[in-house]
Amino acid sequence: MTDDGTSRPSGAPAESPLDAAESLRIIAAQTAKVRSREPDSRLIFAAWGAAWLLGYLALYLTATGRVGQPQVTEGFSLPAGWAFAVFGLAIIAAMVFTVVHSTRANAGIKGVSASFGAMYGWTWCLGFVAMSVMLGGLARAGAGPEVMAVASNACSCLLVGVLYMAGGAFWQDRQQYAIGVWIILVATVAVFTGLPQTYLVMAVLGGGGFFVGMVLEHLRRRRDPSAGAGFAVAGRPVGA
Amino acid sequence: MSETGLDPVIHAQARLRVVATLAALSPGDRISFPRLQDLLDMTAGNLSTHLRKLEDAEYVTILKTHEGRKPASYVELTPLGRRAFESYTASLTALLRGTAP
Repeated sequence: MTDDGTSRPSGAPAESPLDAAESLRIIAAQTAKVRSREPDSRLIFAAWGAAWLLGYLALYLTATGRVGQPQVTEGFSLPAGWAFAVFGLAIIAAMVFTVVHSTRANAGIKGVSASFGAMYGWTWCLGFVAMSVMLGGLARAGAGPEVMAVASNACSCLLVGVLYMAGGAFWQDRQQYAIGVWIILVATVAVFTGLPQTYLVMAVLGGGGFFVGMVLEHLRRRRDPSAGAGFAVAGRPVGA
Repeated sequence: MSETGLDPVIHAQARLRVVATLAALSPGDRISFPRLQDLLDMTAGNLSTHLRKLEDAEYVTILKTHEGRKPASYVELTPLGRRAFESYTASLTALLRGTAP
């Protein structure tokens, strides 16, 4: 242990001696660097905000006949087929973005976080597969187009909201938790507004909720760039 | 620097950067050697040297594995290393306040 500058009493040090302030600066810099490579929830919120706004607006505008023609089934005006395609593609695009962005950001990191991430990801996937099958069963049992439209939206949003709340609880991420609560509130209101207003509520309040989350997260990062770092608690001078 | 009461294993610029980076990960997480190298801007040889010293002090564990046919190394801060880093930052804070232990 004489070749590394730790116990050398004299001589040219391989590294200049550190003072306490410099050490804390180094710790803060490395912590910030690690944080900067983590998934950026602002981008993920933006992707989902855009997908909901675009997708639900397409459903709303065609169901009301403001754009294109609604599909009239059993005397009930449903959004046009292409609007459902736009909605589906928007959701898939946001999903692909989320998975690619998170996977890239977490590449090369294994252990507890990676195994939680994988299980959480599969929870989303299996949850939606099971929900789709159950909704299929509801249709088979004789649910009409209006019931199906309302139930599909309510069930999806309940699942999304609960998963956001669970993720927020695990990561101690209040923004994420609050978005989960907001989605469930908006979806509950949307059930009672009746179609096609349901879609407008989802587009404006649901999509808008993600954008508000994005702005709040941005402000939080500007206030506290090393937020979430263990050192921020351990290394903060008392009274500073 | 022992008169300051600071852990000499951590209190050297290169190793402090390594330990601070590992401590910023969640407990129980390990990071691949290339990604750690990228976060630190250090050469592979230099990083290996410092990791060996941290391993000797039992502050890190290095897991050697294979990804496909390629050998891969993952580095993790041990609970002992995390505690040492926490008491190191606490000592720095105390020094800055002028109440060295």
